[in-house]
Amino acid sequence: MTDTQPDAPSDAAAPAVIDIEGLSMVYRGRSQETVALKDANLTVRAGEFISLIGPSGCGKTTLLRLVADLIQPSSGHIQVAGKTPREARLERAYGYVFQAPVLYDWRTVISNVMLPLEIMGIERQRRRERAADLLTMVGLEDFQRQYPWQLSGGMQQRVSIARALAFDPKLLLMDEPFGALDEITREAMNLELLRIWQETGKTVVFVTHSIPEAVFLSTRIVVMTPRPGKIERVVEVDLPYPRDERTRESERFFELATHVRETLRETH
Amino acid sequence: MDGSTARWRVWWPVVATLIVVVLLGYPLALLFGLPLARRDMLDLRKWIKETVEAQAPLVPAGATLHYNAAPAAGALIWRQALIGRAQVDPGTERVPVPNGFDAPVTIGPPFERLGPVLFRGATPLAADEAGTAIYTAGRLQMQGSVLALERPDGQATRYTFGNAGGPVFIDVRPLEEGTDYLVDGDVVVFAEAPPFGSQIRRVSSDYAVVDGSSGLVLFASPPEGNVVLAESAVRLAEVLAGEADGTNLRFRFARANILDGDGRRRVFVEDRLLNPVAERAEERVDGDRATFTFESDAGIVAVDGVPSTEGRDFSRSGRRVTFAQPPPRNARLRQHPDYILVDPEGGEILVAAAPTAGELVWTDRYTFYAEPSCGNTLIACFFALPQHPVPFPHWIAERVGPFFGKFALTDERNVVRATLYTTLGTLSALVLGGAIGILLAVVFVLLRPIERALLPWVIASQTVPIIALVPVLLLVLGNFGITIQTSLLPTAIIGGYITFFPVVVGTVKGLRSVDPLALDLMRSYAASSAQVFVKVRFPAAVPFFFTSLKLGTAAALVGALVAETESNNRRGLGFQILGQVQSGNVADVWILLIISGILGIGLVALIGLLERLLAPWRRRA
Repeated sequence: MTDTQPDAPSDAAAPAVIDIEGLSMVYRGRSQETVALKDANLTVRAGEFISLIGPSGCGKTTLLRLVADLIQPSSGHIQVAGKTPREARLERAYGYVFQAPVLYDWRTVISNVMLPLEIMGIERQRRRERAADLLTMVGLEDFQRQYPWQLSGGMQQRVSIARALAFDPKLLLMDEPFGALDEITREAMNLELLRIWQETGKTVVFVTHSIPEAVFLSTRIVVMTPRPGKIERVVEVDLPYPRDERTRESERFFELATHVRETLRETH
Repeated sequence: MDGSTARWRVWWPVVATLIVVVLLGYPLALLFGLPLARRDMLDLRKWIKETVEAQAPLVPAGATLHYNAAPAAGALIWRQALIGRAQVDPGTERVPVPNGFDAPVTIGPPFERLGPVLFRGATPLAADEAGTAIYTAGRLQMQGSVLALERPDGQATRYTFGNAGGPVFIDVRPLEEGTDYLVDGDVVVFAEAPPFGSQIRRVSSDYAVVDGSSGLVLFASPPEGNVVLAESAVRLAEVLAGEADGTNLRFRFARANILDGDGRRRVFVEDRLLNPVAERAEERVDGDRATFTFESDAGIVAVDGVPSTEGRDFSRSGRRVTFAQPPPRNARLRQHPDYILVDPEGGEILVAAAPTAGELVWTDRYTFYAEPSCGNTLIACFFALPQHPVPFPHWIAERVGPFFGKFALTDERNVVRATLYTTLGTLSALVLGGAIGILLAVVFVLLRPIERALLPWVIASQTVPIIALVPVLLLVLGNFGITIQTSLLPTAIIGGYITFFPVVVGTVKGLRSVDPLALDLMRSYAASSAQVFVKVRFPAAVPFFFTSLKLGTAAALVGALVAETESNNRRGLGFQILGQVQSGNVADVWILLIISGILGIGLVALIGLLERLLAPWRRRA
């Protein structure tokens, strides 16, 4: 096992996309304070696929939202592509995919994908081409003119991924994107995501509850523990690429999955 | 084929409901109409009045009577015991008697006296009550008998009679009291048990016909003078109820109950015609004067129709009458020489001088209530109602054609025109109310303090009764020089005033209904708040807006109708409804109600269509 310290760079050659140092987040309720994240340190290098795994309430989503500048930390530092999260957000340095597809009901599939480009102010013809390309990439080129309610859950989530990639961010933040899907669709989507990741060379931070999913997708798995949420350990996943269906059945896959599971159990 | 089946599947509940509603109209029409019909039937003022010219009841035996119009040739003329409408009965050859006739009518020979109360006539008699008319000493006798309460079983000897006190007879055999039976109050005890299945009767009125074919008649008590049969119909004069005992002054006609306003009435005491004309005092009634002079020196003195009492209210000295209290100024002071109507509708008179005992007070020409003018049955009266609060549905349907065709399309009073006018008014109200509603909603969502400041007032605005607000608005508009009778403004403003409220509430809810994640997403795109509003909040609020606008539409239509009515705007549907209500065309009012209902449905459907166009994503398969 080649577990590393959380802040130790795995591949010192690649530049750090996310650099987290001593990050804490305390939610102040009416009567009590909830420590959602305590003293987290993590460095994500370009091109990595990082999974955040852990039970509910361990601060996975909080960590992701802090990076995305959707909330502000109580203490500690974050750098996203060498800038503060706010600067990174304003420069549209990342794409965000939620657990729910969060598609806009009143927009067709293609114009949902075009929305970020619209906001960026890209001219009509170019954003249409780009959106069409992205939909082709996620295999929905035939569904451009449909409304979201006409699509299945998996298809909706693929639209959501296409939309997150719309302005070609270096970083993709995914918050349990396949959590609401059935196992079969989920595995198909995993393969799809791996393909997209390899095609585009993005850096992905992926929150999940599923150990096989984390092992199958990631280059590194960040294991987190709850109350207070903190980063317990980082597991290197040395499964070779390209990964496919057979990878799931390999011995190494099981070893890694077991290792992650044991780590989770220990720390719980 | 498939398409029509599918359409039917969608529409059949609507069609079924419509049919049920229409069918329900019939019992409802009866439910609301029958009490009115009953009221009409019972209201004496709505009865047909019939004037009777009758023969004096004082018919001496063997007298010959003369009438005004001859009855049909060959008809058997019979005597009517009671005033009323006679029935035609060809089988027995008895004919109805018209009002008065002129034909020599004979009174038959006297009955043969068989006993103190038993008589036999020369001709057969009808056993039924209306068939015979028997006089004794010139007075009509009433026929009547009742059956024993128990059925004879051939063994029982005691039988009870209700409401009868005369002699008893079994079948056609008269019995003699003392030998054949004994009377103990209501109970009659027979010497031998009446045979099984026989009819035991007892005279309950003046007499009873025991055996019609042999002319056998049994009287309740021994009659005075000769018993004679009138062979012709005689319209009886109405004899006053009330005993002429020498002191009684008050008499009441049983049937001649319309004395007031019946100028042709004649009241007699025996053969003396009473003078109906009242005398006026020679002096003016000025409120101070107490002494008045009349034409004659006797009679009933009445102030405003109320008889005064001599000795208490006034004193008399020849033709001069002096009141203890001067009659009020302009009071109607009269002296009635012979009689006064004390209860004109009830047929009661007060006579100036009491008739001597045994004298007959009667009237030979009088008006009475013959039958309800609407008809003799409740259902006839229902159909005769001048207006029905709930007409039969097919009556409404019959009115549709004439109602729509009443005025040309170019006429302001045309219904289609009025409907279009009101539609236009309501649509402008919706545009106004919708625009104000959206504006307020946006302000409320953007600036919370303004919402906190204004929302209570917005709510309060809806508790102000429209009916009170409209006149104020009309006054204001009038002051601005707008001719409110022809302007669409009152309609638009009142409708808008009603509509904006649900639109504000709905749109605010819609603008706030956005998924927080959708807002996070916009934040991750670094979108400006203007972009968030235009691209997320607005589209999310569209369905809410339309739903609330639909709610507002129905209310806006009501507001428009109220505004039209109150502003006397003749062009709109509201005024039409009011006009038809005032002229009592209930069926037309119903048509207008249905039109407004359809208009409401149509407007809501129009909004729905607009929603489909503006929010196509809402269309579900």
